[in-house]
Amino acid sequence: MSLVGPSGSGKSSLLRAVIGLQQPITGTVDTEVAPSQIGLLFQDDALLPWKTARKNVALGLTFRGVKRQAALARADEWLDRLGLAGLGDRFPRHLSGGQRKRVAIAQVLVLQPKLLLMDEPFASLDAIVRARIIQDVAGLVECEHLSALLVTHDLEEAISLSDHIYLLSRGPRAHLTRDYPVPIPRPRDPVGARTHPSFAPLYETLWRDLSLEVDRLPEAAE
Amino acid sequence: MRALDPRYAWLRQILGFAVALVIWEGAGRLGLLNPLFAPSPSSIAAALVDLFADGRIWPHLEATFTAALGGLVIGILIGIVLGVVAALVPVVAELLEPVMTLLNAIPRVILAPLFVIWLGIGLASKIALSFILVAVLIFFTVFSGIRQVDRRLVERIVTLGGGRRALVRHVYLPSVSAWILSNLKVAVGFAFTGACVGEFVAATRGLGYLLSFAQSTYNAALMFALIFLILIVVLAIFAAAGQLEKYLLRWR
Repeated sequence: MSLVGPSGSGKSSLLRAVIGLQQPITGTVDTEVAPSQIGLLFQDDALLPWKTARKNVALGLTFRGVKRQAALARADEWLDRLGLAGLGDRFPRHLSGGQRKRVAIAQVLVLQPKLLLMDEPFASLDAIVRARIIQDVAGLVECEHLSALLVTHDLEEAISLSDHIYLLSRGPRAHLTRDYPVPIPRPRDPVGARTHPSFAPLYETLWRDLSLEVDRLPEAAE
Repeated sequence: MRALDPRYAWLRQILGFAVALVIWEGAGRLGLLNPLFAPSPSSIAAALVDLFADGRIWPHLEATFTAALGGLVIGILIGIVLGVVAALVPVVAELLEPVMTLLNAIPRVILAPLFVIWLGIGLASKIALSFILVAVLIFFTVFSGIRQVDRRLVERIVTLGGGRRALVRHVYLPSVSAWILSNLKVAVGFAFTGACVGEFVAATRGLGYLLSFAQSTYNAALMFALIFLILIVVLAIFAAAGQLEKYLLRWR
């Protein structure tokens, strides 16, 4: 599912609260899975610049007590799956933006989370690279049976990747306004989804509702 | 005008330096320069050869090196420890920061006479001066460095399940070592400043002691030879520090 909403409506804060980086001011966060089973993909790749790609990927495993050699082997496996075979010994600086993003994805997925949170993870990539990475992530999410929550500004991205889209109202005191189910069947190809007959009408509806939220004056404080 | 080929910059620099030396030497031979103030390059070279020929330079070199490297190593270690503790424990930062800021504001070599009174004219007072010069520099490097650590990297480690120890090991220490390495050359310079000034103030051995001896005997050739020698030594250490930096920071 995806979460869209105007800037400042608290989309990122919501994700940060789910994974425990931020305490909600009021209320609590209930998840069915333990925090260790949640993976978070950031907007920027935030890899450790002084560690090679494979060591970056292996990091989370070693925190969970996996032996170094085994962790590195599994890191290599995941780098292979993301099409980065042979690039494991490079430092992040010597990888392209798309490759770094893939390393960051491997870093999260190697821990085999049950829930994958994504905070505008594809925003900084150029169109072709972005389409390919989105395709790969969609494939991995399906084959690993992950639940995924995507925060994004990009409505196309939201529609092509999700089954449900939620619109967050304008902040402060933002709330979920509506659930927009996406009637495109799975398994689906995120690029092909754009030509599905229900894509355009849904895009239009979302665009209109989101524009309304953006234009709405903030609620007066009490 | 034709553009200069940047590949041969070093050649032109050496050539220019050589021409300057020849003019200097010529002026000296023609009696245009008072050898008491500006000895000719050949007499400086002779003084330098002299120092090594009878081997009496070695104990002095050894003394200065021991003082500078001793001060450098202890200064870096203590600087790191104080910086890390101050960055992590607010009370320590409150107490330490004003003292360090004061020490940073004054020219720390003015402490040299005090160290001589406290520690005598032996090696200890030179190490102490070297140490205080280096430690304050490293303290600020580490202290401000830790406070500026990239928050995103910290969050990355936390969301991957890393605890406090993982943060120190994978984020703080590597960031801090990167900053220290970037400041290593400055620290080496400081360490030798401390050692030489300490020896200059009061000592029985060392390059700084030789310098003050040359001063009291009006031996300008020896002074130039010593300055040249210190220059070579520090340049050699700079080159080594540069290589170390290049290797350890190869991820940059």
